[in-house]
Amino acid sequence: MNEPALLLQMKGITKKYPGVIANDRISFDVRSGEIHALLGENGAGKSTLMKVLYGLHHPDEGEIYLMGERIHISSPKVAVDAGIGMVHQHFMLVENMTALDNVMLGLHQAKPPRLDVKGTREKFIQLVEKYGLVVDPDMPVWQLSVGQQQWLEILKLLFRDVKLLILDEPTAVLTPAETHQLFKTLRFLIGEGRSIIFITHKLEEVQEVADRITVLRDGKLVGTVDKEGTTLSQLATMMIGRPVSLARKPRPKNDEKKPVLVIDGLCCRNERGLEALKSINLTMYSGEILGVAGVDGNGQRELAECITGLRRPTHGQIKIKGKSITEVVDDPSLLGYIPEDRQKTGLVLDFTVTENLFLRTYNDAPFDRWGIVQWDIAQTKAEELVKTYDVRTPNVMVPMNTLSGGNQQKVVVARETNAQPPVIIGSQPTRGLDLGAMDSLHELFLKERNRGAAVMFISTELSEVMALGDRIIVVFNGEIMGELDGDSASVLQVGEMMMGHRLQPSTSNERGKK
Amino acid sequence: MEDMFPQINTFLQATIRMSIPLILTGIGTLYTERCGIINIGVEGNMLIGAFAGVAGAMVTGNIYIAVLCAIITGGLLSLIFAFLTVSRRADQMVAGFGVNLLATGITITLMPYLNANRTRAVLFPVVDTGFLKDIPILGPLLFDQSIAIWLAIILTLISTWILYKTSWGLSLRAVGENSKAVATAGLSVIKLRYAGILLGGIFGGLGGAALSLNNLGFFVQNMTQSRGFIVLAALVVGKWNPVYFAVVCLFFGAADALQLRAQAFGSVLPYQLYLMLPYLLTIVALAGLVGKTKAPKEYAKPYDPEQA
Amino acid sequence: MKREQDATMFGVNSQGLIDFLLAGSRPVASVMLAFLVSGVIILLQGVNPLEAYLAVLRGAFGDKVAFGNTCVRTTPLLIGGLGMTLGIRGGLFNVGAEGQLYLGAAAATAVGLLPLAVPSWLHILLSLSAGILGGSLWAFLPAYLRAFRGISEIVVTIMLNFVGIYFVSYLVHEPRLLAQEGVSYAQSRTILESAFLPILVKGTSMHLGIIIAVLLGFILYFVLKYTSFGFRTRMVGANPDAASYAAVNVKSSLFVTLLIVGGFSGLVGAVEMLGFKHSLYDAFSGGMGYETITVALLGGVNPLGVIVSSFFFGGLKAGGNLMQQTVGVSTSMVQVIQALAVLFLVGIGFMKPKLKTPKTTPPH
Repeated sequence: MNEPALLLQMKGITKKYPGVIANDRISFDVRSGEIHALLGENGAGKSTLMKVLYGLHHPDEGEIYLMGERIHISSPKVAVDAGIGMVHQHFMLVENMTALDNVMLGLHQAKPPRLDVKGTREKFIQLVEKYGLVVDPDMPVWQLSVGQQQWLEILKLLFRDVKLLILDEPTAVLTPAETHQLFKTLRFLIGEGRSIIFITHKLEEVQEVADRITVLRDGKLVGTVDKEGTTLSQLATMMIGRPVSLARKPRPKNDEKKPVLVIDGLCCRNERGLEALKSINLTMYSGEILGVAGVDGNGQRELAECITGLRRPTHGQIKIKGKSITEVVDDPSLLGYIPEDRQKTGLVLDFTVTENLFLRTYNDAPFDRWGIVQWDIAQTKAEELVKTYDVRTPNVMVPMNTLSGGNQQKVVVARETNAQPPVIIGSQPTRGLDLGAMDSLHELFLKERNRGAAVMFISTELSEVMALGDRIIVVFNGEIMGELDGDSASVLQVGEMMMGHRLQPSTSNERGKK
Repeated sequence: MEDMFPQINTFLQATIRMSIPLILTGIGTLYTERCGIINIGVEGNMLIGAFAGVAGAMVTGNIYIAVLCAIITGGLLSLIFAFLTVSRRADQMVAGFGVNLLATGITITLMPYLNANRTRAVLFPVVDTGFLKDIPILGPLLFDQSIAIWLAIILTLISTWILYKTSWGLSLRAVGENSKAVATAGLSVIKLRYAGILLGGIFGGLGGAALSLNNLGFFVQNMTQSRGFIVLAALVVGKWNPVYFAVVCLFFGAADALQLRAQAFGSVLPYQLYLMLPYLLTIVALAGLVGKTKAPKEYAKPYDPEQA
Repeated sequence: MKREQDATMFGVNSQGLIDFLLAGSRPVASVMLAFLVSGVIILLQGVNPLEAYLAVLRGAFGDKVAFGNTCVRTTPLLIGGLGMTLGIRGGLFNVGAEGQLYLGAAAATAVGLLPLAVPSWLHILLSLSAGILGGSLWAFLPAYLRAFRGISEIVVTIMLNFVGIYFVSYLVHEPRLLAQEGVSYAQSRTILESAFLPILVKGTSMHLGIIIAVLLGFILYFVLKYTSFGFRTRMVGANPDAASYAAVNVKSSLFVTLLIVGGFSGLVGAVEMLGFKHSLYDAFSGGMGYETITVALLGGVNPLGVIVSSFFFGGLKAGGNLMQQTVGVSTSMVQVIQALAVLFLVGIGFMKPKLKTPKTTPPH
């Protein structure tokens, strides 16, 4: 039995950024006609590695071989000419143009400089029929469904007859039905002799579709295994680095739980006018972390925005301590919000640390006297806060953009929790942070929970939610799929709910099946 | 009533004549805007083109070389802007403002040399169309003009074809909508943007030449009188479509022409009101179009390749 | 990307001073480069640039008359530059100073012509207030369009500049309004002496305006740094989303800020009338409104920096006249130097005011 031909070899790839090594001497290979999964948590280095392969980033060290020949991929153009194609996590489509226009972008035309619309359209329809990726070539992209947009991205690659497709988290925005369709298509493409690299952090998918799996963790290669003979928990361990009975944070038991935030029949719409939340009922209790899990884009962001007053609901009521949210929304002593895009909503990067710490409270005593801000008092208080929350900064007068992401987030947390509000909402608070910063932040949230706050912790990282939540709910398509007890919930249960399956009451005693 | 006719004729003629610099400039500026860049320095491009055109016309007596001078200077000025905004990623407003200031300063500084030269500047040649110019209304409008009108019409048609029917045009339009998509398709966003800006400069220079060399033959301080900004506004009103834009320019040209004829009409209103007309029109046009225009999505955002 | 900064010098926390000096280094470098390139242009005209620059220096600071001229030129630049600074810090790019100052000048002239039987200081105060109101009024439309409809203030204000200039032209041509009869060049009647700003140093043209201007500079610095109004305004300019979250009414902040900026420009026109020109005429400004933009940018968009840069440009302009007289280099070279300074500043990569230029429609 011959060794299957090696299509791609990446050897010793290293890519460094100031302060972090994104890829540390990673080597792996891809065979012809295989689906090779690249598995790892957020920040493990998967995207970076593939961007190196696609010519968007230049590696500091390492070599790439294609069909045995050394190749220097200096730009996407080189990658495309070599037969490598990539479908990014955030689609690279021009929304205001038609599908056909998008395909023609950068495509070599039959008779340059004219656009060969007719010829391209013919080929487009041929490909649609052959692969079953039904897309109307003349429809503007913004009118296509997310699944269709992804098919369009794949069609773009097929036009260029790619040999190696890279898919970056393709199922992040797909429904289960669309996901199955995608896997079918991928199998078809393999049958034609192409190869696929499939980046994901979802264990279940890997089991279903991959032939071989390479696991990355913290920028390093953990190993490459065959799907046959590897269990889910083995993969999970490789991915997270600790036994998957996840390190639950120790915490004192809380028996005196009082309802603090009550949501009743909440409905709202997102920017596109589509329903984002469908009649949500939810109660948050004091001294408890409510973990909110779910694939990004299922309404979690809108939920946080409705609670914090940044979005107007179409129906329903939200009450904090009996008072409707509309009365209290500006009061930083009742609600603290740690937003997911701290650089956009949470902070003013050009302002100093002090100014950011008092972004909401500059108007209150003792900082404000007759319209004049008492910066000296503010500065002293800022120094205290920086010490309490362990923010690493030379002093409180430096501009915010000199701090690292983790420390920036700590400033946001400091500001929002300092007044000891009864409710704290954290929306993807650890996004973009390294593991150390993540851990610090988790500790901060726990501290708040222990002092009696009702904390909502929204995250797409399952491991986080499971480590922190006293209770765990899962949001899918604007609805809550179910609620689990944090101590006894299993990854599989939560994973099922994230895929859209409601929790069945009988399955809630799956103890120890982690 | 009979003597209204020649009045109307000359008015229409003037309308076309005053619109042509706007249209010519706009052809290039359209490309700039379509790739997502606001270049308020188009005013400076026009100004320096007007100056260089006159200078070239006086020195060489050859209209083609004069126009070439205008085009080259306009292009060079826009190259400065391109370097600052694309390569140095500077704020487009400030860079454009600086470029305008430079054009104003340089033209004023060099004006004495122009005035010292006593030769007459050669103008855009008038096209002799025989009987065509005797057709009522359309005759004087279209056929009793200099070559500039044909330039404007032909170039507008060519540019529309390039923008919508060629691969390059598609790429340029895409840059203004989603520059990352263009980069991942293997194209060079930087080259495309430079090209868009340079085209804006070249046509700005041409428009400037049309201002000073079409019927006039001299250069006056601050000759362009913010026409570059009117071009920018007209692009918005014309929804960045070449043909609509040309129509909008005709309206502005009409306002300009009207102002010249106000006193001839024996108007009761102060002449300053007519002078204000094009500018008031621009404001009304801008204010009246809220919610109906769709700017290219990446309007005024600098492109950062590292963020791909 | 951490920057470890040693904030103490001689044991004293001089972070502020260091920041100020660092911030000033790039504008200074840009100006140096501008002088260099302009020097080449001057050389090409057959003049020794050093002679030219020396003439400028003499014309600006040579004696008390020269310094008086400098102060006169500096005053409008400083007041306007301060207004522009407030605007930029608040997220607005006001190109309409020219029109606003014409309206301010007209309003101040109108009040200055009124035979009010009041003490001089009151007449001055009333005229100046009229000027401020005139400028604010002219900023009303762009302020409304920007704050509440998201239309960029840039094109609108430029258009209004022309409308304003022509409107004032009408005023000074029309005897029923402001015009003076029997003169060859249209101008308004001369304002009453009770409205004249007092001259500070006898024998010069240095008037009270410079004191007003410098005082305003310190006041603006204080307001921006130490008041909650200033804090809110800066927030809106730096990050409107965060400001929104911090419960700042972004729209009303933009609106009010541009109105105040218009008031500053109006004051420019008023002070020019009451202190220097004493009568209004066609095209009296000669582009001062646009120069205030340069002054603000080169002053690092900081009131204290603007005091420095406006004196610099005021001196350039005052000295430019002497330069033209003695070595024959046109005063337009001053504009060239200004332009080059701005371009170099932007090119060196310092100027990233991150102006939130709105599209002409709110995104859907």
